[in-house]
Amino acid sequence: MAHNFIEMAAVTDAGSVRQFNEDCVVTDSEIGVAVLADGMGGHRAGEVASHMAAQIIFSDLQSQGPQFQSGAGPQSPLRALDLSINRANAAVFEAAQARSAYHGMGTTVALAVFYDDRVALGHIGDSRIYRLRNDALRLLTRDDSLLRDQIELGLISAEDARDSHNRSLVTHALGIAKSIHAHVREDDASPGDIFVLCSDGLNDLVDDADIELIVRALKSNLPLAANHLVQAAKDNGGYDNVSVILARVGKPLPAANLRRWIARRFRWLR
Amino acid sequence: MAKLVVSRGGSIVHQSFLEQKRVNVGRESHNHVVIDDPAVDAEHAAIVPVGNDHILEDLGSVYGTFVNGTRVRKHILQHGDVIEFGAHYLRYMNPKASADRDLERTMLITGLGSTAVGGARQSGPPKSVGVPSARHPSVNFPKGRIRVTAGSGAGDAIELDRVVATFGRSGDRLAVIARRPHGYFITHVEGRNYPRVNRQSIGKEARALRHGDVIEVADQQLEFLLDQGASA
Repeated sequence: MAHNFIEMAAVTDAGSVRQFNEDCVVTDSEIGVAVLADGMGGHRAGEVASHMAAQIIFSDLQSQGPQFQSGAGPQSPLRALDLSINRANAAVFEAAQARSAYHGMGTTVALAVFYDDRVALGHIGDSRIYRLRNDALRLLTRDDSLLRDQIELGLISAEDARDSHNRSLVTHALGIAKSIHAHVREDDASPGDIFVLCSDGLNDLVDDADIELIVRALKSNLPLAANHLVQAAKDNGGYDNVSVILARVGKPLPAANLRRWIARRFRWLR
Repeated sequence: MAKLVVSRGGSIVHQSFLEQKRVNVGRESHNHVVIDDPAVDAEHAAIVPVGNDHILEDLGSVYGTFVNGTRVRKHILQHGDVIEFGAHYLRYMNPKASADRDLERTMLITGLGSTAVGGARQSGPPKSVGVPSARHPSVNFPKGRIRVTAGSGAGDAIELDRVVATFGRSGDRLAVIARRPHGYFITHVEGRNYPRVNRQSIGKEARALRHGDVIEVADQQLEFLLDQGASA
């Protein structure tokens, strides 16, 4: 059984213009879980929604971590990830119904769960997941956004979309309806791969070529790479909150170290 | 709310508000906005609302549709755009459709495609077509370059025209120079030794570069040159 070691770096920033940060990032490289959420809703309810969703999803996955590792649990990581999103959705939706100040609140989500040499990915809304492999960046998610619909239906060109005012319009979010169908899928995670989870405050302001350049150039220092991504978004206007999680897949650990490593990884169980 | 103002020879001949429905523009009287001009087709153009946008579409007109002097087939209208119809000018007024995105809040809206609404499940990898970044209107970056004065690649000149550029050797001693609106900054990336600027170690923090600074990283000596005439 080949366990890959995951290294992570995360940054979240209110940006250059906004007073509050309604984004939320939660990571744990030991159990290989990364969650990013970008909240929406007035009077800082977006902050409530993003934090609720990220925390619920995270602790849900955390409590099932060992099952991913053994591969023997009744639930596949993909199913666990889907269930955690559904639990978070129910909780945020319920909270939104219970308090008038929270009506209409919701959040995007992007998350990754690493196990063996695989990764389970999930997303809702316009937060994104990219992967840098062999120095080439690839977008792995499709935004739930009006603009993406417009481009895919051929109503406007991708170039024209740069002038659109529809960037803030998402077509799907967590917490706004009783049930939710998140986009979830599995992919392989090879040593050297770097997964990039981000809120639209990054990719609306920094084009893919520059995201690729920064991650590629600074991949040996993930915290520095994450900081440079956020800095680039702020330098280009930074009119939205901006969040980034970088997760690099390491080489499989030698079997001799494995038991010790697992013990350290699940210290919290005791 | 968005507004259309039609003028000819400096005087306003028509004004109307744009609501959430399609508006046809042409010479014939059945159009929502009628422009009686020989250079205008019977049905010349349409303005279609999509989300926060109003999209101007030329309907295959003989003389074409021009926005701010450029012929367009399809164009996302921006606050203050002037559309020419022969001797008539149609001005699009919508303060919300300006480059000022500060106040935009994320909102939920119904998608357009059947797969986009509700229970869309993604199986394989998505199409590579993504939504590109927004056009950032008015960020001015300085112009700088590096001249390699000693070590490998001596004599080379490297333009610092991207967001970051690395120097040194990866896996050993590496430094990054970031281009920012207010100047260039060098930071240590990896390796046991920090880069030196003017013979002083920069440590862990980012350091601002000045014209003429001498940088040492790995086996290279570099000179930083800033184009003083460039916009700051």
